[in-house]
Amino acid sequence: MFVMIELELRRLRHDRTELYFRAVQPVLWIVVFGPVMGSVKGIPTPGGIPYTDFITPGVLIQSTTFLCIFYGLMMVWERDSGILKKLLVTPASRYATVIGRSMASGVRAIFQGLIIVPVALIIGVRFYPNAGYFISAFIVIFFASGGFAAISILVASFMKTRERFMGIGQAIIMPLFFASNALYPLQMMPLALQYFSAVNPMSYVVDATRGLMITGDLTNLLVDVAAIAVFDIVMFILASISFKRIIE
Amino acid sequence: MDKPTVAVYTRNLVKVYKGETRALDGIDLTVEAGIAFALLGPNGAGKTTLIRILTTQLRPTAGDAYVFGLNVTREGSKVRRLLSYVPQEMSVWTDISGYENLLVYAKIFGIPSEERRNIIHEALESMGLVEAANNLVSTYSGGMVRRLEIASAMLIKPKIMFLDEPTIGLDPSAKKVVWERLTIFKKQHGVTVFFNTHYMDEADLYSDRIAIINRGKIVKQGTAEELKRSLGGEVILFNLQNTDVTEEPLRKLRSTEAVKDVIMNNSELSILVEDAETSLPRIMELLRSENIKTEKISITKPTLDDVFLKYAGTRLETSGRISEVAQIRRMIRKG
Repeated sequence: MFVMIELELRRLRHDRTELYFRAVQPVLWIVVFGPVMGSVKGIPTPGGIPYTDFITPGVLIQSTTFLCIFYGLMMVWERDSGILKKLLVTPASRYATVIGRSMASGVRAIFQGLIIVPVALIIGVRFYPNAGYFISAFIVIFFASGGFAAISILVASFMKTRERFMGIGQAIIMPLFFASNALYPLQMMPLALQYFSAVNPMSYVVDATRGLMITGDLTNLLVDVAAIAVFDIVMFILASISFKRIIE
Repeated sequence: MDKPTVAVYTRNLVKVYKGETRALDGIDLTVEAGIAFALLGPNGAGKTTLIRILTTQLRPTAGDAYVFGLNVTREGSKVRRLLSYVPQEMSVWTDISGYENLLVYAKIFGIPSEERRNIIHEALESMGLVEAANNLVSTYSGGMVRRLEIASAMLIKPKIMFLDEPTIGLDPSAKKVVWERLTIFKKQHGVTVFFNTHYMDEADLYSDRIAIINRGKIVKQGTAEELKRSLGGEVILFNLQNTDVTEEPLRKLRSTEAVKDVIMNNSELSILVEDAETSLPRIMELLRSENIKTEKISITKPTLDDVFLKYAGTRLETSGRISEVAQIRRMIRKG
């Protein structure tokens, strides 16, 4: 299981270009979208924090989730090559393979986050000054990423071709992002969307990281972490069950 | 110790894809332990499907398959402990080094950490990759990638190795190196090697037994020698000017004395005879009387290609598809 994480670290050591390019989009959100929307002052942020500060965790999660969802694409690529076939013929259990690979994408997500944070700092986002909180936020991101990557493995085992996967990847990620508290407080949304948001795992992840990174408000943290744990477990099980289909 | 001597055993194995394509159509096969076994057939004959069932990736639609006495569908996890497998497509990560690939696979296979270094080194050495071990796989040649893949299959010292088209897309010298290394490894560890190929020479040179598969059926089995001998003495090959030869002259040829078989393939007419020197005049006479004009005549000992032609009804080497596969492999390499 851990070997998959090691594999990911080794790949990152050799080539990090993907992470840099993937960081462009979230950086634009923080550097352009945040200040512009913030100057409108139409969005009530909790505790009156600047709007850019408010969306920073949301954008961070969006970008790491994006990365994880497209992790499935790599699985589709590995399906076209022989890697997945070979992995499935090893004595390693399917659960170990799926969970290992999912968490490996968590590693990528952490590195992605570490690229975005300095940019946010430079443009003046004030993080909550507590190292313990900050590290916890990344632990949350790590585990949540595993769940999202498992979704993508699940999708990959049905889609099987890159083209189909690209389409469906977008179709998953955008609703998760916009129907969450990433860009605006839940109270601003229409009631229907608020209900959707309540089952949207991304809302819980954003809420947890926002509490830990920006506001220091941890009242919901337990609920958030529980929601992420349930999400992870369900996704790991579903992805492991469907995983064998991917090579058929 | 009670050592099972049968490595692979299948009984009436059938695989139907999506309810229509009958990839395997009742395969009965017995492969003894410790030999190199070649499954020879054209593309689409069902070779890969058979290997994928034996390596527990696919479930057969009907019939049973056993690897060292273990049922591949019911005892899949035990079977996976005994075998290693090199798929036809590329199966290593190109963005890390060769050594790292083996390290990752060694960990996946659960090789204890104190043995890992030695085992990896051994595998690299036996595949001649020690010097390139720390280079990124993306800088490897096709033959080196293949050797790395086989090295990773050697890590666990399997009882049986399944190789799906092990030398597809490789040039002749790279092919030779792969097989030389593989043969040494097989001798050292007594591994059963089960491989698919559509290259006649490969089956001829490197296997102890051959099964010819065509359209999901095993059409003939034996050693290369047995297969060739089963055709009889010699093959007379006529390149004809006219391709529109009717059944009638062929029938007459078949009933000629000492002619064992007549096979027409495009403009090539192969005639199997006991002794070419005595049969040729009679055959020539008959061809002339039927107004069949020959461009070229050659007399050879039967090759596996002739064997294949006889039992499967087509020639094996259909080149278009081979270059296509080579191209795909290159594409995959580029990612």
